[in-house]
This record gives sequence, C-alpha cells and structure tokens, in this order.
Amino acid sequence: MDYTKQIQEIATRLFAEDKIDVFVGYRLTGFDDNQVPALIRESKDVPLLVFNQKSVFNLSNYLKNDHTRNKRVGLVVKGCDSRSLNLLLTESQVKREKLYVVGIACEGVVDDAGQKMQNCLECMVPAAVVYDELLGEANMERRFIINADIQDMAAKELVQRREYFEEVFENCIRCNACRHSCPLCYCAKCCIDQETATLYNGANTTSSAFHALMTWSLHLAGRCVDCRNCEKACPSHLPLHLFHKWNERVIYENFQEHLAGVHEGDRGAFYKYSMQDPDDFIM
Amino acid sequence: METVTNQLVSIEKPEIVAPPDWQPVIIGILCNWCSYAGSDLTGTSRLQYPPNIRIIRVPCSSRVDTWFLIKSLQTTADGVLVSGCHPGDCHYISGNYFARRRFLVTKKLLNFVGFHENRIQFSWVSAAEGPKFAKVVSKVTEDIKKLGPLHLYKKENFEK
Repeated sequence: MDYTKQIQEIATRLFAEDKIDVFVGYRLTGFDDNQVPALIRESKDVPLLVFNQKSVFNLSNYLKNDHTRNKRVGLVVKGCDSRSLNLLLTESQVKREKLYVVGIACEGVVDDAGQKMQNCLECMVPAAVVYDELLGEANMERRFIINADIQDMAAKELVQRREYFEEVFENCIRCNACRHSCPLCYCAKCCIDQETATLYNGANTTSSAFHALMTWSLHLAGRCVDCRNCEKACPSHLPLHLFHKWNERVIYENFQEHLAGVHEGDRGAFYKYSMQDPDDFIM
Repeated sequence: METVTNQLVSIEKPEIVAPPDWQPVIIGILCNWCSYAGSDLTGTSRLQYPPNIRIIRVPCSSRVDTWFLIKSLQTTADGVLVSGCHPGDCHYISGNYFARRRFLVTKKLLNFVGFHENRIQFSWVSAAEGPKFAKVVSKVTEDIKKLGPLHLYKKENFEK
C-alpha cells in the first residue's frame, strides 16, 4: 500500500488549479521512517508528501485548527478517518464544499514494531466512505468484528477487572492529550475544563481520572470510529481503546448493529432510538 | 452473532466489611411526571419503604446525564437508582427512549470497569404505581446492603 506518487500528483494538480489553500497529508519525521502530519501550503513543498502503511494518524483531527478552519482543504483519509470526517460533516463542524477528500482503500497500518495494528485486524470499514477521489479498490472485504482483547477482558472476574482498571486510572496523568488528539472532541469549552466542576479539575487523582475518562468515553460512545489517535497520543500508554471498543461492542450488539459514521447523515447512537431497544435491565 | 457484552461475571461477596451500624446511601433520580408523583403516592398511601434513598427530582429521565451517575458513585452514594416513565408514557413523547439507550451503555461500561451491576439500577414507575415504587426501593436497598459500602474511586480517599 504505497500511494505516495498518486497523492503528490493530486496535490500538485489541486494547487495548479487553485482549488485548495492547504493540503493535509503525511511526511517523514526526518530521522526515521515514522511519519507525522504535514500541512502543505505551496506546490513546492508537495514532494514532502508520502503515504504508506506507516501513515497511522487520523488527519480529520486537523480540520478543527486555525490553519484549516474556513479554508479550502485537501485531505487524505483512510477508512476510519473518513468515518470521523463523515461525523464531523453530519455534526456541522466542517463544510463539505470546502474540502477535497482523497479517499484511500486502506489495507491496514502498522505500529512502531512493524506489526499490523489491532484495530486494522478488526476493521469493519477499510475503504473510505467519503471521497472525491478514491485510491485503491472500493469493494474491499469487510472483516468480521473480533474484539479479541474485549473478549479476554469480559471473561475475567469483576475483581480482576476492577484491579486492572484501578491501575489504568492510577497511571493517568490528566494531560488531556487523548481529548486533543480525538477528531470528534471539538467543543470549544470541554465539560472537563469547567471551572465549577471541581470533581474534574484540580488534583490529579485516581478519582478525577476515573471521572474524566468515563465521561469522555461516554461522550464518544456511539461516535468513536476506533482510529486510536488517543492511544497513540497517550504518554502513559493507557489502553484507552478498551473503553471505546467496549462501548462500540455494546452498541453494535444491542442497537441494530450501529456503526458510527458509515452512512452519510447518520448521527451517533444516542441521537436516535428504536422500540426494539433492550428493556430487560430495567425494573 | 455471538454476544460478548451480556456475559459479564459479577461476584456476590461484599467488597469491604461494613461497620455494624452501616446504612447504605442511595441516590434516587426520579422523573418529575411519573416516578416522583409515584413516590409521592407511596407516601400518601402510607406505604413503608427504606429511608436510605435520597431523592432528586429531574424534569425527565433523559435529563439524567451520564456523569450524574458517575458523580454520585464518586462522592457519597453506595448505589444509584434512576426512575422514569414507562415506555410510551413520556411527558416529552420520546425522552425515555433516548434515556434507555444511554442507561444501558453507562451500566455496561461501569460494570466493565469494576462496579457491581446492582450498584446502578433503573426502573419504570408510573404516577399510579405507589406500591411498585416501595418494592423497587426495598429491592435496591437490599441489593446494596448485600454488596456493602462502596469504596472504589471515592473522591475523599484521594484528597488530603
């Protein structure tokens, strides 16, 4: 999966036709083969762009900063990135006519060790769902949802789960990097930062980390697309995907196989309801 | 398709030993139009129910933000009960349908990270169901008494 040449051609063409102000893609870090997001503003910088299986970040996160807001943007999206882009479009955060989207039919990206990422092994929507131009084969095979680590965790006893997650919340340093790296956390004033919410801010305790992470993952329930930007950004290497994957799994099983951002105009699972929703847990 | 999320194991034994005179604190969040009126009816009918419940009145069960539950568990409560109108009876037409989805996900997530499922309970109680409200509160109180005091992620445990 190497689309470097095609993406450079597209970016050059878009700059020549004066269709975009800025192109958001990937470039090499300069000292190893890892990649960082790149904001290209002139056609002379286009040769910096690359795309291969090391292009891990979700670039739809870069649509909400000052460099791209209210500008005409060219954007590279993989399957999961296009789902979060779809949600941003549905939630009126981005204007579709200002975007030129280069969709990728993604075969999965790799982590630092060169192993295929877990979320790519379990990917339900590998090809981009929103695009102006698609690179690769559109009709890719949809893999069956496995969620191996969720299954392992669910098989454990309550006490074991409690001990495991107590350690997770203990190790959280409340830097909020997960929130900043999340493409779907775009609120100008986050509820976790409210000055009156004394439970959230102030001391960095296990209790406040529990509160912040639970609230955050519940705000993303039914919207999270499992791009794992949060986990890549976390300095404590917390298994943040467990919460999101768990919520995704609960919602997929109970609410008519809802998957966030796959269909245009489809909002999160909490913005709609069905008469068939499970009722057996309510007295 | 095989289900994973419905197979969580929950233990029955108390988490820590309770002092002999310990009484659980239960936060009851009731909807204004059905459950609050139902609890009122319980009182006017002179039905007995445990005094452990502290009632908070909200306009609708969909007013209950998920962090109401998290905050309750984190501060004083040993358990939470949220009660609203029966499906189809919501004063705001569809509020409890939205709430039902949120409740399921919240309950499953808190159970996943280590809270016993009986600590977060939900019920539908209409304005005419005084005896049902007394029964629900008795059952919740009994469940929480079996589990013992909640110490997980309590705010005061971490503040000096």
